[in-house]
This record gives sequence, structure tokens and C-alpha cells, in this order.
Amino acid sequence: MTYLFTQFASEAAEATNPVKALGIDVKLLVFQIIAFALLTWLLSKYVFPVLMKAVDDRQARIDESNAAAADAAKQAAETEEKLAKLLKQARTEAADIVTTAKEEAAGMLAKSEEKSKVQAERIVAAAHESIDKDVLAAKKALHNETIELVAQATEKVVGKTVTATVDTQLIADSLKAVKA
Amino acid sequence: MTPHFFASEKLNIVLPTEAIFHIGPLPVTNAMLLGGFSVAIMLGMFFYTATMVKRGRTNRFVGLVQWAFEGMYKAVYDIVPDRTMARSIAPLALTIFFTVLISYWADILPGVGHSISWHGGELLRSLPTDLNFTIALAITSMVAVQYYAIKQHGLMGNAKRYLINPLKNPIGAFEGFLELIGEFSRLIALSLRLFGNAFAGAALLAIVAGLASYAASAVLPFFMAFELFIGFIQAYVFYVLTLIFASLATASHGGSHDTAHESAKTKEVVAA
Repeated sequence: MTYLFTQFASEAAEATNPVKALGIDVKLLVFQIIAFALLTWLLSKYVFPVLMKAVDDRQARIDESNAAAADAAKQAAETEEKLAKLLKQARTEAADIVTTAKEEAAGMLAKSEEKSKVQAERIVAAAHESIDKDVLAAKKALHNETIELVAQATEKVVGKTVTATVDTQLIADSLKAVKA
Repeated sequence: MTPHFFASEKLNIVLPTEAIFHIGPLPVTNAMLLGGFSVAIMLGMFFYTATMVKRGRTNRFVGLVQWAFEGMYKAVYDIVPDRTMARSIAPLALTIFFTVLISYWADILPGVGHSISWHGGELLRSLPTDLNFTIALAITSMVAVQYYAIKQHGLMGNAKRYLINPLKNPIGAFEGFLELIGEFSRLIALSLRLFGNAFAGAALLAIVAGLASYAASAVLPFFMAFELFIGFIQAYVFYVLTLIFASLATASHGGSHDTAHESAKTKEVVAA
């Protein structure tokens, strides 16, 4: 274990040149610089352009999709606005239609009521006329019947068939008696 | 020449990497071996993903790589406000991030560190534990920053950031001098921060393995998970600092608000 902690000190003491103690070798340094430059050139020439293009293309596609999404969102907002406007207009029109319909319905109802009233009045008038006619006919029939009954009664009293002549005679006699 | 497995009866933690063999005058170190393997894995992963993307095919692995790449690529645009500048510096920053990440994470692979020894040293060692690699990365990063600054302001315009006439503006001249020192300190800080964390992580794993002995299999995974997290943080810090330094260097001199914002961002990242 002591070896672990003392070896660096001993190595440093052994090495008179600190550059050598750190293991720095100019030949290796130059070789590694050239090797790394070569590696960078190789990757930049054949590998990175392909991968960078893939990343750039994907980014371009993402940007395009984002732009399309933004456009779609804008269009959706516009459509929604239009829809809201149309709905508002439709509601106004519907309200107008309902109002007009109500007014028309009220008018039709009033007209219908008036018509019905007129018709009812006509029916009532016709009924009245019919009743009057019937009453008149009944009165006439009653009158005739009464006359006939009176005639029959008179026949019974007088004992002969009452004709128009006899009837006239009787009426005249009666009037005379009244006058006297 | 035969490697010794589990030969950690005496831990031999050394700062410099060790040469395994030589190719001509160039020593191939244990860090370079594992670093080469890590870079090969990374290249394979990226080329496979790029080929699949080109063909319009995908699977979970490709999706994962694309997800990681996309996250880091988009972060470049968040850090560097100028889109043209961001696009031109992105390859360097992304290469730094993925190279550091993969090579750092390679530290937890089986056989890495002291589990396989080679002539008393490690056979495999993660690349960020090699100071040459971290300095190489930092130099590349700072040179790239200067290149973009010169491209933006011109050679003289960029030089004016550091060299100001002390007779006309003594405070500005002092600031320029500090800025010049700052460039070098940034280089040193970038390289030593990564190296220090990676080396400390590797040493920690070796010490915990040694101390835990037979319980190492139960204890090490927690430390390995922690190392993965630290690896990500270090890769991200290197990547972000490179971008911020480039952004600061190319920012117009009049944009004091932006500079203050970037400075605050830099401080936040450095503090983290």
C-alpha cells in the first residue's frame, strides 16, 4: 500500500525532465494531432453531413408541421368565428320566423274566429228563421184546427153543416144581436 | 513476452503511457492500442448509422446513435449564436465529444488497466489517460478557434484582440496581454482537466479492485457506472468549452452583452 503513495514521488525524483515524467512525447503528440485531424476530416466528409442532413430535414418537417398546425388552428378559429356568426344570424332569423309565424297564427286565428262567428250567427239566424217558420206554420195549423173545431162545435150546436154562407149569416146575426 | 493476467499483486500506477511496440520511430503505446480500438468502434458505429440513414432504414441502434447525435448537434446551435459559424465548427466539436466519450468509456472494458500486464505495465489503457492525446485535442481545439477567429476578424483584427498599444489604452493593453495568457491557460486547462479526471478514474478503479479483492465483482460496477457518468461529463465539458471559446473568439468586439453572457456560461461549465 505504501508503494501506491510513494511511487509517484520516486518517479518524479527519478525523472529529471518534468515533461518526460508526464509522458509527453513530441512524436506521439504530433502523431495524435494528425490522427485526430484525420478523424475529424473523415467524419466531416462522410458521416456528419448525412446525419446533419437527416436532423435538418427532420427539423424542417417539424417546422413545416408546426406551421401547418398553426395554419389549421387559425383556420379552425376563423371557422369557429364564422360558425358563431352564422349561428347568431340563424338564431336571429329563427326568432324573426317565430315572431312572424306567431303573428300570422294570431291573424289566422282571429280571422278564423271571425269567420266562425259569422257562420255561427248565420246558423243561428237560419235556425231562428226556421223556428219562426215552424211557429207560423204551427200557428196556422192551430188556427185552422181551431176553426175546424169551432165549426164542428157550431155544427153540433146548430145542428147543420156550417158552410161559408151559413157562417156568414151567423156572424151577421151575432153582430146584429150585439148591436141591439 | 507473455502477458500476465490478474497480475496486480503490486499495483504499478504510472503517469506516462508505455510503448508496447514500435512502428519505425513511432512508439505504439498501450493508450494508443485501446484508443485505436475505441476510434475503430466509433467509426464503425457512425459509418453504419450513416449508411442506414442514407438507405432510409432504421433500427433501435441507429435510432440511439441518431438521438445522441441530434442532441449534441442541436446543442451547438444553442451555444454558438451565429448559425454559419455553428455549422462550420459543429464537426470538430462533435468529433471531440464522441472521441472523448467512447475512448473514456473504454476504460471499463474487461482487460483494460491492471488486469492484463505487459512487462510489468498495463497492456491496455484508455486514451484520455495519455497526456499526449489530451494535449493534442486541446491544441487542435485552440488552433481551430484561432482559425475561425482569423476567418471572422482577419489576421490583424484577430491580433488586435491581444496586441493593443499601451500608450493609447494601457488598461486595454493589459487586458490583451491577459487574453494572450488566457489562450495558453485554456489550452493547459483543457488538456489537464481531461487527463486528470481520466487518470484519476483509472487509478481509482485499479485501487478499488485491489482493495476489494474477491469482492471486486460486487463493488467495481458502482465505480464503473460513476466512471461512465464522469466520462460523459468530461466529454461534454471539452465539447462545450471548445464551442464557447470559438464563440467568444468570433464574437464582435462591440457585443459586450453577448460576451458577458458567454463568460457566465463558461464559468458555469468550468464550475461544473
